[in-house]
Amino acid sequence: MSEWLEPWRPSAGDWDRAAAQHLWRRAGFGARPAELERALEEGLEPTLARLSAARGSPELEASIHPLLAAGDLELLQAWWMALILEGGAPLRERMTLVWHDLFATSNDKVDDVRLMHAQNELLRSAGLGDFRALLRSVARDPAMLRWLDGDTNRRGHPNENFARELMELFALGIGNYEERDVQEAARAFSGWGTSGRAFAFRPEQHDADEKTLFGRRGAWDGDDTLGLVLEQPACARHVARVLLEAFVAPAPEEEWIAELAGVLCAAEWRIDRTLEVLLSSRLFFSPRARRARIAGPVELLAVAARALDAELAPKRAARLAADMGQALFRPPSVKGWDGGRAWIHSGSWIARHNALVALAAADGGRDGEIRVELAAWLGSGEPSGRVVERLLPDAASARLAAEVSSLAPGSNAAERARAAVALVLTSPEFQLF
Amino acid sequence: MVLSRRRFLIDGVRVTALAPALAFLPRRPAESPGERVLVVVQLTGGNDGLNTVVPHRRDEYYRLRPTLGLERSKLHALDDDHALHASLGELAELYAEGRATVVHGVGYPNASRSHFRSLEIWHSADPDGLARGVGWLGRMADQILASSPGAMPALFVGDEQLPLALMGERGFAPTVRDELSLRLAELPGLEPARARLAESAPRDASDLAFLYAAARGAYAAAERMEEIVRRPARVDYPELALARKLQLIAKLVAGGFDTRLFLVTLGGFDTHARQAALHAAQLAELSRSLAAFERDLAACGARERVLTLVFSEFGRRTAENASRGTDHGAAAPVFLLGAPGGGGLRGTPPDLARLEDGDVGYTTDFRALYAALERDWMGLAPSSAVAPFELAR
Repeated sequence: MSEWLEPWRPSAGDWDRAAAQHLWRRAGFGARPAELERALEEGLEPTLARLSAARGSPELEASIHPLLAAGDLELLQAWWMALILEGGAPLRERMTLVWHDLFATSNDKVDDVRLMHAQNELLRSAGLGDFRALLRSVARDPAMLRWLDGDTNRRGHPNENFARELMELFALGIGNYEERDVQEAARAFSGWGTSGRAFAFRPEQHDADEKTLFGRRGAWDGDDTLGLVLEQPACARHVARVLLEAFVAPAPEEEWIAELAGVLCAAEWRIDRTLEVLLSSRLFFSPRARRARIAGPVELLAVAARALDAELAPKRAARLAADMGQALFRPPSVKGWDGGRAWIHSGSWIARHNALVALAAADGGRDGEIRVELAAWLGSGEPSGRVVERLLPDAASARLAAEVSSLAPGSNAAERARAAVALVLTSPEFQLF
Repeated sequence: MVLSRRRFLIDGVRVTALAPALAFLPRRPAESPGERVLVVVQLTGGNDGLNTVVPHRRDEYYRLRPTLGLERSKLHALDDDHALHASLGELAELYAEGRATVVHGVGYPNASRSHFRSLEIWHSADPDGLARGVGWLGRMADQILASSPGAMPALFVGDEQLPLALMGERGFAPTVRDELSLRLAELPGLEPARARLAESAPRDASDLAFLYAAARGAYAAAERMEEIVRRPARVDYPELALARKLQLIAKLVAGGFDTRLFLVTLGGFDTHARQAALHAAQLAELSRSLAAFERDLAACGARERVLTLVFSEFGRRTAENASRGTDHGAAAPVFLLGAPGGGGLRGTPPDLARLEDGDVGYTTDFRALYAALERDWMGLAPSSAVAPFELAR
């Protein structure tokens, strides 16, 4: 194993507020103040174990079932936001969002909230397990089959939609397959469709003739095709790249990808064991990874709300995220959200600004959907000096700290605290996770 | 510019090269003072094309429309054979001035009678359904963003879910509900502190510098919006929802916003029962709102750089139903507002003597209109390989 992926062994002062926040922001959706203090006390390994725990409130998880009958996407969006904000299973929810971005499926076409929920539960329950099993389940997922036209893929009339995205986006990446492979794989998947809300194989629509996939000839069916795709060396690299982009930095080095692909294969494709290595590695805590991503709307809101120990109504949170350009269950295309700089334009910046200012301005019960008590959060005394330390301990934030300390000198402490929090949250520095 | 090979599927033949289309680009004249703007007005629900542009000389028309057939004397004549609905008086005046173009029979092959599917086809410019959630306006926005990162090339003005047309590969177009949407939430002391921080911000190739630059642009846009909102109205608009949306667009265009693509909707066109009064009211809202918009653009000197397209996801069945309404149909006329349309009646009128499954067939592919708007009006790459419609004759 390269030194990049060796375990990070922080010396006394290195496991600090910035390092603990970094881990909580990436592996989850940020820490509440008590969670951060606990992380600082306990150290890296116990913190990672807590993040990996899947102990979300069973009541909250079950609460969606009676709501599904309404067929209202907003309720489903709010429910997922609630799971994210609650933070009972941080890494699980983080990984569910990573998979939603990779296997990006939109209700705009699926048009069935129950199917979107079922896919979300699949990504949640299988997302930290064996990637090979996840991919096979996604290929049979009814929402995916509707989204990528499985129902219209019939013998003699192949629809290449799923076969193409399987290779281009989900498992291999451009350059790792031929156009012919897409066409042949489409034939192999013919007959895979839905019956009602369930997967259905229709033998009479399946093309059982021989196909040539990746240079190998056989009467391949859909399952064979998935097996052949998973055997391609590019597949493990593709998954490694997805993990590195999500957890470390955009445009990861080829060397990191190759190393992490090796870890994935050695871990028998288990995502949890692979992430255990990655999230405790020297690479993960290196300057290359720190504040290296432009935060997406969902993580930005959740991290800000949790850092302030605020309670944010999930439906409001889902709407704010949509205003900023990330409507859950409605990714713009099968490519998912482009992320990075594509999150940012004038309209989305103003949406970010307004949502983050709303968090600060809700202090003292001024907003029925947001509960935040900045005085309690900051403790006694002149508070504004502590705001930068709490929210942005690792950024080069001397400039920010200076501005915060000279904010609104004529106003009272509560007003200064609100302005300080708003200034830090809306700063470009805070948008970098 | 990243263009997927899948985007250009025409008659089963893959067209991967865009180079031939790009060769036509220098058609844009250089004299325009601001960038050209395209406003798309969507008549949601399926506008009854036959009672919008009425073929009043045809006996078949009155046979198909025993109760809904419109009385010839009340219509606004376009040519010897066609006339506009009585509620479209303002539009008829614009037509007489050469500012309005009517294109007959716009549609696409194998028309879908599903609202959702047909809108998806119009929005994606892709009847084969391979466009993967990307819309034709979003695709243009992507192209504009590629050369001006951080700009706001497209806006949806409305309060519904963002239409597919505005989704690009690079993200969604923002929604502006009303004049207050781009208003900044502020707290005392925030603005000056923010300005001081921006002054000493890094100006390099880093993400942080990019974010500061984007923030500067956004705060400037919000400030301009505040100022625009305070400006007195140049012309009176009727108290109608569509008029308010178009007024906001006129303000943004005149106020120097860099947005070049706008989409607004007017609903209420799904007239399955008791159509006559409903349809007349919706067409009146369209006509009066567009007329005010035109006057406003003229008053602020932006009229020559704004082109407006009015479309609906389908027309309605030629024969009326038993509820004095009409059911979902196929091709329908489209309006273009603005001199570049060329004015007049264009395309081939639908033949009521030759119906396909009760509908008139399309005579102009909507993608040809799109291609003309994309290539010749906006100066961008077209979203299909369908030959562009000749805009000005």
